[in-house]
Amino acid sequence: MRALGCLGVSAVLGAPGTALGQGNLGALQPEEKVDATLQRLFGSRPIKDGSGMIRLDMPLIAENGAVVPITIEVQSPMTPANYVRSVYIISDKNRRPMNAKFSLSPEIGAAVIGTNLRLGETTDVRAVVELNDGTLLMAKQEVKVTVGGCGG
Amino acid sequence: MPEIGTVRIRIPSRIRRGDVVRVRCLVIHPMEIVQRDKAGKPIEKNYHFINKVIMTYNAREVLQAETTQSMSENPFFSFAFKATEAGMLKITFLDTHGGKYEGTAEIKFS
Repeated sequence: MRALGCLGVSAVLGAPGTALGQGNLGALQPEEKVDATLQRLFGSRPIKDGSGMIRLDMPLIAENGAVVPITIEVQSPMTPANYVRSVYIISDKNRRPMNAKFSLSPEIGAAVIGTNLRLGETTDVRAVVELNDGTLLMAKQEVKVTVGGCGG
Repeated sequence: MPEIGTVRIRIPSRIRRGDVVRVRCLVIHPMEIVQRDKAGKPIEKNYHFINKVIMTYNAREVLQAETTQSMSENPFFSFAFKATEAGMLKITFLDTHGGKYEGTAEIKFS
């Protein structure tokens, strides 16, 4: 905590001289509510319930929010005519809900993605899947987080 | 402690042509989170984290990911890919400080 405070002071001192563009706060995902994220990414396109097609594998309780494993598996033939184009991971209560976007091609043969997330607090985690015909599907699951994993 | 940018890739030891197999990769990276001053305002600086992951298979791009600070430190990914031909699977990580880290795995059929 003390280290963070020091960094804060030095950054404030450095701020006036720092040209815009030095930092990349603006390039980060915006801090917003999850509804705004969905609106920004998908506009008014309907998002269908995809819980029958999307399998979300993640813990119900995560003791450490800094490392929360998640696996998303979408049932799809992954042929050039019918494949998963992108997979978004969105955590409702994170300050910046948009976590990651994966763009897939049919060549990978199966729409399976695993990674480790940081979750700030107990939250719903959504996987939004976009098929090549533009259909949006969503599945979500709540994860109880004992110790939050991000300050940002 | 391995240095930043060390990439480890694991693929199954036996692969048959046409198999859909799982590739797992890990990169050593701090994935810096946003710091705040005492007023809770985010500090403007160039945060150091991986914002792009690209997987190529014999130089064809098969997967791309845009990642954020919501990935854990030393991020781990697992992807699927279809082993249609022998060759090189390469995963490249790009970060916000211009860093480029690559790992490769050779696809051989047994």
